[in-house]
Amino acid sequence: MFGSHKVKLEGELLDKVKQCAEACGYASVDEFVVHALEKEVNKVLPPSEGGSTSKEIVKKRLQGLGYIE
Amino acid sequence: MLSSCRSAPADSRTDPRLIILGIDGMDPQLLHRFMREGKMRNFAKLEAQGDFRQLTTSIPPQSPVAWSNLITGMNAGGHAIFDFIHRDPKTLGLYFSASRVEGPKHAIRLGSWAIPLGGGSAEQLRKGVAFWQLLDEHAVPNTIFRIPSNFPPVAAKGKTLSGMGTPDLRGTYGTFSFYTDDPAAAAGAVEGGQIIPVHVENSRVTANLIGPDNSFRKGSPVAVEPFSVAVDPLESVAKVTVQGQEFVLREGEWSDWIRVEFQLVPFFANVKGMCRFYFKQAHPRFQLYVSPINIDPADPALPISTPSGYSRFLTDEAGEFHTQGIAEDTKAVSDGLLDDDEYLRQARTVLAEHRRIFDAEFPRFNRGVFFFYFSSLDLNSHMFWRLMDPKHPEYDATLAAQNGSAIEDFYEQMDQVLGEVLPRLDDRTTLLVLSDHGFAPYYRSFNLNTWLLDNGYINLKNDTSRNSSEPFANVNWTQTRAYGVGLNGLYINLRGRESNGIVEAGTAADSLMAEIRAKLLAVQDLKAKQPVITRVDLAGEAYQGSYAREGPDLIVGYNRGYRAGWQTILGAFPTDEIEDNTNPWSGDHCMDYTLVPGVLLSNRKIAAEAPALTDIAPTILAEFGIPKAKGMIGQSVFQPGSATH
Repeated sequence: MFGSHKVKLEGELLDKVKQCAEACGYASVDEFVVHALEKEVNKVLPPSEGGSTSKEIVKKRLQGLGYIE
Repeated sequence: MLSSCRSAPADSRTDPRLIILGIDGMDPQLLHRFMREGKMRNFAKLEAQGDFRQLTTSIPPQSPVAWSNLITGMNAGGHAIFDFIHRDPKTLGLYFSASRVEGPKHAIRLGSWAIPLGGGSAEQLRKGVAFWQLLDEHAVPNTIFRIPSNFPPVAAKGKTLSGMGTPDLRGTYGTFSFYTDDPAAAAGAVEGGQIIPVHVENSRVTANLIGPDNSFRKGSPVAVEPFSVAVDPLESVAKVTVQGQEFVLREGEWSDWIRVEFQLVPFFANVKGMCRFYFKQAHPRFQLYVSPINIDPADPALPISTPSGYSRFLTDEAGEFHTQGIAEDTKAVSDGLLDDDEYLRQARTVLAEHRRIFDAEFPRFNRGVFFFYFSSLDLNSHMFWRLMDPKHPEYDATLAAQNGSAIEDFYEQMDQVLGEVLPRLDDRTTLLVLSDHGFAPYYRSFNLNTWLLDNGYINLKNDTSRNSSEPFANVNWTQTRAYGVGLNGLYINLRGRESNGIVEAGTAADSLMAEIRAKLLAVQDLKAKQPVITRVDLAGEAYQGSYAREGPDLIVGYNRGYRAGWQTILGAFPTDEIEDNTNPWSGDHCMDYTLVPGVLLSNRKIAAEAPALTDIAPTILAEFGIPKAKGMIGQSVFQPGSATH
């Protein structure tokens, strides 16, 4: 559960991932893969399992509207 | 310097002209009362000359929804703005409905620096065509000042400035800073800002202004700029130094706008903003308030006007002004950091800025449409209802003696503005004075999510942690059938829509909605001995358009005096279902829409029996012979017959 985990990419998928990472300006294939996975995790996981930090940021942004405590 | 901002040359003297004063929150009951009392002579004159009707507001009667009804001629089913707060059905993440501001998505990292590829962006989420875009298509000149739900401003040929929905430089809807050496003031975040502890050493304070997140640096820490304050050891006066600018403030004095530049990458990237300082107290404790850092209209970091130079033009013509969408800092009052007098001075400055711009722009108007928006009645009715209503839990006779006429004073200022317009009216000029909704007291809160929890519609994984302020903390979504988001929205946890939805669409969802609706309408406030909720609308009945199914399934309409509780709006579960509202924010309108209509006045007779906000865009277009666009559900208020709303 803790620590890092390696995923093996090879063949055509690896080539495409490299192309995407380069085209989008990522510093490395690892950075691109991590970012892509982060986006998918945020889409799939329900809020109780998402990050509370980002929810606090959203709440902070909205409080300035006046209607919210 | 900005030729397109100069007034157009006079054209045919028979061209129709339309002036619209959009006065957020002007209430028909209060307006009638002040007119009867002889305080609104220009409004009385306008009614005598033309007409005065109630204007049916939106479902629900919230400003982003209501102004979007006006802008597009459609209801929320067409423009997709259903509430101040929306949720993503897949993640149940919450966001402001009208716009989204994002930092750059990709970056290259160099040591501690992350160099973004491309800039951040702002996206307007309202759908549909704005009436001024249709005017553009027909070459009708127009000026649209600070209309809500138009950030970033849609592409337009006319002059527009964004209003409600425009963030501060931090991307929030207003975050102030409060610097103090008072150990009793808890450091950290308060509702609308943050308290920053400082030390007074040798009569000097050094601290940082808090800017936007610096996405150029790894981890995106906030950008800061240092400033210092030299406090006179004996007198209540201080000298503030910010980036080479020096100014002196006496205790109880506001500064002018101070421009600040946040360095993101030295010599390479920076962002400009501006703020105002308020020196609240010199001794015995140092207290300094700094307003949210507003986008600088002279050099905006995000798009706030069309053409892009229009905001700078306005600055040149009428001086600096608040660009933040909701400029009045009501949160600083709710947090107890500004008192009523201090807040009132800030609120009056906001209106003075708007009136300066009005005085600069209105004389230039000679063709087409001139729309001008005023926020003051709305924000100050929110804040000062408690001082004109002895029944309010926060009524204070002493404070009422000092500022009990604040709302009335702002109404009188609107009458003065109208007094500048009336002499310009002639046979070819139509005037509309309108508001998006009216106003009512906010005595008691109803905690919708607590009620849903208590009635078994929401299930928690662990009942002991229901007091978390985190949105929907600990909710067991696999056993939750309905939940509340925003000020009036109630959603069914629908299978196939929500990621852990459990209620089947169709008969099961329909019967659940009918059950919840009946139960909500039966909720009684035992203290006040009256129903809390007087109306619950089904989305399927209330909305038409492509997005009708994307908002709440039920829209909860609270009785006069009630509103959704402060914490329930973002998915928290306070202990009590109903409780007193003890916040200075004491008036509201997010209720049963039939209880808080707006106003519509004109120098012409209004033919529509029951005019509505959705009639205004068709009315504007009809004045210039332009047919209404597809999806618009209203009709001109000057045509006989009543439209379906």
